Amino acid sequence: MSSGAHPNAKLYVKVAAWLAAVTGLEVLLSYVTLPSLVLLASLIVLSLIKFVVVVGYFMHLKFDQPLLRKPLLAGLITAFTVYSIVLFNMIMHSNTPT
Amino acid sequence: MSAVTHEEAGHHTSTGIPNTKLAMWTFLGSECLLFGALMSVYLLYRGNSGAGPAPYDVYDIPFTSVSSFVLLMSSLTMVLSHSAAVDGNKTKARTWLLTTAGLGSVFLAGQVYEFTVFVKEGFTLTTSPASSAFFVLTSFHGAHVTIGILMLVSLVFMSLRGYAKADSPQTIEYVGLYWHFVDIVWIVLFTLVYLIPGPEVGY
Repeated sequence: MSSGAHPNAKLYVKVAAWLAAVTGLEVLLSYVTLPSLVLLASLIVLSLIKFVVVVGYFMHLKFDQPLLRKPLLAGLITAFTVYSIVLFNMIMHSNTPT
Repeated sequence: MSAVTHEEAGHHTSTGIPNTKLAMWTFLGSECLLFGALMSVYLLYRGNSGAGPAPYDVYDIPFTSVSSFVLLMSSLTMVLSHSAAVDGNKTKARTWLLTTAGLGSVFLAGQVYEFTVFVKEGFTLTTSPASSAFFVLTSFHGAHVTIGILMLVSLVFMSLRGYAKADSPQTIEYVGLYWHFVDIVWIVLFTLVYLIPGPEVGY
């Protein structure tokens, strides 16, 4: 499957436990009263961390050839750029369709 | 790994990566655009509830958190299946595949239950732009989970019928890539849709 050492089942279980703990923290944060910007930033950062960990360990991208990162990154960057522009444009011009 | 990959994949490629694997990653990259579009539409419309209930009035965060946990654990069982296949333990690989399909089914059942409750509370596909965007986004994800379950179950049946490629580490890895992608989409979706509070509190 991969170019590097194959991670063992123990590591996968550890990663899953860690991911479950982060999910618990996310849910906890959504109930705590925090300044809106802090809450928003915390939830997005935690979500991104989980995303990267699953892609890196469970999808083996951390251990695979770097070339395999390119198709996913291309999709992510294109999606983020295009939709950010669209959302920014529509919000700035208060052009939300009803 | 190049040499191993060539041998396992049964053909040579200029990249040293099996074509199927590269194709799967390219497909997953294109899926980012699909889900990106659906999430953008939801973000755009989520404050537009009309006379109906707002999404945040009907969400049951503890219930959806449990569903998220179940889907997260299905990623673990999927990777354990691949690990067993790499070790040559076919029975264990099949067992983990079935467990993954089972956890996926539990997640789907949760989604169906959640939709039923929402409809009873007046939050339906046609209630408002916000509800339409919500149902289209989460249903597309649910459809992906359903396809994943069908792939997993097919793999187990093909393996039991002696189809050699069905329980090879490569095949399980490709199906696993799809399954993990469905999981990471939910990771983002869960935060964006359920956890980040609505426009009424300033988002």
